[in-house]
Amino acid sequence: MLDALSGKFPVSVVTGFLGSGKTTLINKLLKRPDMNRVAVIINEFGEQAIDNDLVEVSSEQMMLLNNGCLCCVLRGDLQETLRDLYVKRRNGDIIDFTRVIIETTGLADPAPVMQTLMTDEMLQENYRLDCVVTLADAVNGLEQLETMEEPVKQAALADRIVITKSDLAGEEVTAKLEARLRELNPQAPIRRALNGEIELAFLVDVGLRNMKGKLEDIERWMGEPDEHGHRHSHDSKVKSFSLRYTEPLSWALFSQTMEVLSALRGSDMLRVKGLVNVIGHKGPMVVQGVQHLFHPPVELEGWPSADHSTRIVFITRNIPRETVANLFAAIGAVTATV
Amino acid sequence: MKPTMSPQSQAAQTISRNMKLVSHNELAGFGGVGEGINMQVTKDGRRILWLAHESAPKNFTGVDVTDVRNPKVIVQTDLPHERVRSNSLDVVGDIMVVAYQTKKVGDKPAGMDIFDISTPETPKLISHFDASGPHSRGAHCVWFVDGDYVHLTSGSDDFEPTHPNDFQFYRIIDVRNPSKPVEVGRWHYPGTHKGDKEAPPPRHPKFDGGYRPHNINVFPERPDRAYVAYLDGGALILDISDKANPKVITNWKYSPPYNGFCHTVMPLMSRDLLLVTDECTKDDGLDWPKLGWIVNAAAETNLVPMSTLPLPPVETFSKRGGRYGAHNIHENLPGPASFRSDNLIVGTFFNGGVRAFDISNAYQPQEVAYFVPGAPKMSPKGAVQINDVWVDENGLVYTVDRFGGGLYVIEMTP
Repeated sequence: MLDALSGKFPVSVVTGFLGSGKTTLINKLLKRPDMNRVAVIINEFGEQAIDNDLVEVSSEQMMLLNNGCLCCVLRGDLQETLRDLYVKRRNGDIIDFTRVIIETTGLADPAPVMQTLMTDEMLQENYRLDCVVTLADAVNGLEQLETMEEPVKQAALADRIVITKSDLAGEEVTAKLEARLRELNPQAPIRRALNGEIELAFLVDVGLRNMKGKLEDIERWMGEPDEHGHRHSHDSKVKSFSLRYTEPLSWALFSQTMEVLSALRGSDMLRVKGLVNVIGHKGPMVVQGVQHLFHPPVELEGWPSADHSTRIVFITRNIPRETVANLFAAIGAVTATV
Repeated sequence: MKPTMSPQSQAAQTISRNMKLVSHNELAGFGGVGEGINMQVTKDGRRILWLAHESAPKNFTGVDVTDVRNPKVIVQTDLPHERVRSNSLDVVGDIMVVAYQTKKVGDKPAGMDIFDISTPETPKLISHFDASGPHSRGAHCVWFVDGDYVHLTSGSDDFEPTHPNDFQFYRIIDVRNPSKPVEVGRWHYPGTHKGDKEAPPPRHPKFDGGYRPHNINVFPERPDRAYVAYLDGGALILDISDKANPKVITNWKYSPPYNGFCHTVMPLMSRDLLLVTDECTKDDGLDWPKLGWIVNAAAETNLVPMSTLPLPPVETFSKRGGRYGAHNIHENLPGPASFRSDNLIVGTFFNGGVRAFDISNAYQPQEVAYFVPGAPKMSPKGAVQINDVWVDENGLVYTVDRFGGGLYVIEMTP
């Protein structure tokens, strides 16, 4: 049988604060020769949209770019657009795309976009979330994080963070923003980019591409290790922490704990990623959730190393590590180790 | 020009999912291949893919695919004239059998050749089994997997059909002595032979494809059963425990209402299922739907269809040129270089390319991979016409174009 993950089209979500340079970044990516089979979904063909020199032909809803890529405007909802792209590709009506990039609006909450890929069965079969890239504008970023909800959430949900316009903001301000972003989301590696120039490898193939469970793939997906188990943000609202269990868990324990958390605090469970050692299963179960929704678990072929302990990373709003650890303990009488 | 493409530009584009081209070989300019593919593993460890051509002037081609990235034609043979085609072959060890079908009745060579291919560069003819006759066009298909018997779709000198389209029937040929092949049994659809007590079967009202066998599957695991696709006669299971006297166990006849030309009946032994395919024989979607059927065979005498292999819409593909619909599948042949699975089916669909299906849930088969090559150079139909497929024991897919595209070696990813 074919690998359940490897055949799915990777989807990158590019999100970021208003004016943070999402379109510039996408335009730069599309000009790369190795990104010539991409379907880009944008919100509108505005002035800021795809560079004119890339556009070969266009209709009201789709543009064929001269490097072979396709750009389409989100119509109706994302679910419908992704389904339509899949069907048109299979019929050979459009290019044989190998990757999808979704650009969200500056004010968008990326959670519903991520959840779309988790909840629609047809989309689940054919696409996989590869990476949420959040752009933060160095000039306005700190203020935006202080005054608005969306930027905080965009940063908290990211797999990768790109700081833009650091040349305009200067080193001191940029460093402060970087520190703040690290507090919000210590797992997401941060890079700086000027004029959308960033190495492609930083942004692609972040999500698990196959079920082989290679160590480097898992580490890349889980993000940067957090040796302390948890961190304190200065406003202590958004928290990141991890749990580790050396003994295998029953699937009932894990899923019941997650169900309780989702039911009671779903909107504050910003992102969960983990490998779970489930009793009776050879490989680790890959779990990931965004707020109250979880992707169906995928069992990898084997463990990436001798360490078979369960490790789960949480990014939450106002849910401390103790609450989650205590819940695991209460439901299954297991004790977390750090 | 719109971002969505015209049928012509669609046909020019290679489209794929979970399948990647490893290599392509146009077979020395004779890239039209029929429906005979088999792989030999030679005593010195080379892997030779044998291909029967669709039509004259070429008979068969041997391709050394030991290095799959660089397939090499090592032998290509000619037919004696353009009024005959080979179309079908099979290999067991170092023995290869090749079918010969003539354009007109009464012509020769009609029947089957048996070759010694122990030195693949120089196949040596061991014997010719003559099936010519005043009403015969010779043989269309061979099934040879046990080294002992060839299950042959053929006419003969003593068979006069009641309708000119019914010129072939099922013959069992003992080749245990390959220099002296002899018929040991035969079966024909009741009413198709002059003198039968039964009335001739009804003709298909729209597309009279005839009552002839196409592929015949007989597996060593079940030597007392022949699974026979009988064109407009549908799918049959025969009891061949007494080869001299085959008996019908069941006949699933589904055309009309469908459009006939039942092509393959492959048993999925471990699951009591049959995978039945039609053959699309008309261009531009005229005989649509031509499908791959999953049939419940748990009660052998009462075959019940459960589902069909999901295909992309006929509206798009029928406009691309040539045929679009089901045809050959990889038939789980025994042998050292053959993939065997009762869950993953790989089939060919003319301009729909080669497609793989996960049928673990027989009620809901899923398409898991496909490769549709862009139209080959000088393609007479303006689109590829993927005709047949072989899957080796490592899961590599070898598929061929009916006209000029030749051989495509494809990797299923990962």
